[in-house]
Amino acid sequence: MGEIKLTDVNKSYGSVHVLKDINLHIKDGEFVVFVGPSGCGKSTLLRTIAGLEKITAGEIQIDRKRVNETSAADRGLAMVFQSYALYPHMSVRQNLAFGLENSSMPKAEITERIGEAARMLEIDQYLDRRPGQLSGGQRQRVAIGRAIVRRPTAFLLDEPLSNLDAELRVSTRAEIAALHTRIGSTMIYVTHDQVEAMTLAHRIVVMRAGKIEQVGTPLDLYNEPANRFVAGFIGAPHMNFLKAEVAAVELGTVTLTIGGGHKLLVPLSGHKLKVGDKVTVGIRPQHITLAADPGSLTVKTRLVEALGSETVIHADLHGEKLLAVVQGQKQIGSGDEVHFSVAGAPLHLFDENGLRVKSA
Amino acid sequence: MTSTTTSSHLGALLMAPVNALMRVVDIPLRGLQKSTGIGGMAAFFLAPNMLIFGIFVLLPLFINIVYSTTGGTAFFLSERSFVGTEQYQRLFTCTNYLDPMSCQEDAFWTAVGNTFWFVVLQVALMILVSLVTALILNRDLIGRSFWRAVFFFPVLLSPVVVGLIWKWILQRQGLLNFILYEIGNVTPYTWLTDRNWTFIATIGVSIWAHMGLYTLILLAGLQAIPKDLYEAAEMDGTKPARVFWRITLPLLAPNLLVVVVLALIKAVQIFDEVYVLTGGGPGTSTLYLTQYIYETGFASALRNPGLAAAASILMGLVLVVLTLMQLGLGRKNENKGKR
Repeated sequence: MGEIKLTDVNKSYGSVHVLKDINLHIKDGEFVVFVGPSGCGKSTLLRTIAGLEKITAGEIQIDRKRVNETSAADRGLAMVFQSYALYPHMSVRQNLAFGLENSSMPKAEITERIGEAARMLEIDQYLDRRPGQLSGGQRQRVAIGRAIVRRPTAFLLDEPLSNLDAELRVSTRAEIAALHTRIGSTMIYVTHDQVEAMTLAHRIVVMRAGKIEQVGTPLDLYNEPANRFVAGFIGAPHMNFLKAEVAAVELGTVTLTIGGGHKLLVPLSGHKLKVGDKVTVGIRPQHITLAADPGSLTVKTRLVEALGSETVIHADLHGEKLLAVVQGQKQIGSGDEVHFSVAGAPLHLFDENGLRVKSA
Repeated sequence: MTSTTTSSHLGALLMAPVNALMRVVDIPLRGLQKSTGIGGMAAFFLAPNMLIFGIFVLLPLFINIVYSTTGGTAFFLSERSFVGTEQYQRLFTCTNYLDPMSCQEDAFWTAVGNTFWFVVLQVALMILVSLVTALILNRDLIGRSFWRAVFFFPVLLSPVVVGLIWKWILQRQGLLNFILYEIGNVTPYTWLTDRNWTFIATIGVSIWAHMGLYTLILLAGLQAIPKDLYEAAEMDGTKPARVFWRITLPLLAPNLLVVVVLALIKAVQIFDEVYVLTGGGPGTSTLYLTQYIYETGFASALRNPGLAAAASILMGLVLVVLTLMQLGLGRKNENKGKR
């Protein structure tokens, strides 16, 4: 089992309130990723679950038992630290055995568990080396191995890939996903990288300033972000935001006016919008296409980045920045006038408070 | 923009005499470099320092060696007669090396014995006290910076001041006896006249005076141990004693070794504070090697600079061994760091 429930969890350091009313239910075997910008409280939240930090208010349950007062060691969790936290003076084998020896486990079982984890992570040939003699990727595996040998209720991973280079990060990410499939334990993973979050998570928890902004599957967050922050945070490159005004409200459709008097039709029903309301319209760069029709959005390009398979166009629409990612190679230069089309693109509407305007 | 221009003008004005001076200095230096080459310039710049080092370190060392091969009470070398290794032979003439009284120069062997026990006990206790203090100061104490300063402060005191402070505390009518009497009506102890207490007092006082430096070195070592290692150990349910023996101590070992060697060197050289505190007494109970050398060479009625020089060279050899140990350890740690 590896069910974790947080109810009204709060954490303060003196007058600094770092976690605010966190409510979250993580199911057994689930891979949950906490994501958010630096200082949003995601690592602190992980550390409170681990028992390395005491919460100020609220309740943490692991497998339906309150663990607020339970020590980190007795919560049955294992943590993989950002710096790996391997003991530099011990061999890999000693590092893996250290935690097991604390529980007076028979030597034969310790050897068996180490062997099993080492084979799974392909580190068996490094068992007698010290961490200083290993590469970053190998150290990372040892750190995960140290967690695996304990057979914990859940794994807590605090930005485990942040010290690896880009290439190794991609391959290790895939290995972590495979590992989760193989052992099936609950995993909570902290990152500030939304690509890691999108590729690994069953559910993503987006945090900002100590609060949960939205919890959902990666595609839920991508397709229906609850607010402007989530919309801007999930997806790369970031979503475009244009100021707009409601020009007309008809049954099932809202007409918006954006910069330059361009009109956008948004299919929406059951909302409370009325003519004259100020809103923000969000368009993902991948949903913009190039058009030949001068009747569509006419923009002036500021920078064109040819990536081979796609072309990234930074453009200016009456003083507002607009980014488009179009497929293939285009003969466009900086300063050119081009036409963008958003016909058929999913448009996201946010009210003046930044909250999503939903269809009923 | 204007202020930048003004300040740059002011800078140029102030630098003008400096630049003029540099141009003047430049002329002979350029000439010198032309004639001696770039290697000669290095020697030229090193010369003043080497001269000072030669006059105040190498020359006395050499003179000391010469002194140790001469006899008599005179200080002028021209008035001293060459005696070869006689002074060394005198120091080593013993029927039983474990019994100082059987030696021709019994005071020397008493001082060697006293210094040996002083070094063993003082260094062991010094390490223990410094380590415990560093461990305590490394915790989240209220007023941690204040306590760190308190423990370091005695290091800044002159050894003579340390000796006088403790003499004032430990003498028969001193502060300690006064407090003991006030609290428990305890009869005054003779801390500085009882042989056993005096030996312990010199150890205690020297620890008090020097522990701040070693505590600081150990504290720096403790703070260099990453916090997440302790958190990993906490997650693993490691008991505090095991954390200390298996994590803290091995990771502190490089600092600890440096502290041991430094403390050994310092302990062998003990003199000032003990000389002020006990004068080596009662009897010869706190007569340590440096005091023996000082008294033999300068203070006793029948002074013997040659014998003192020979003893100081023997002591110097011990210090050379300890220093080489320290350098070796330093290099080992440096290589470890590079790996």
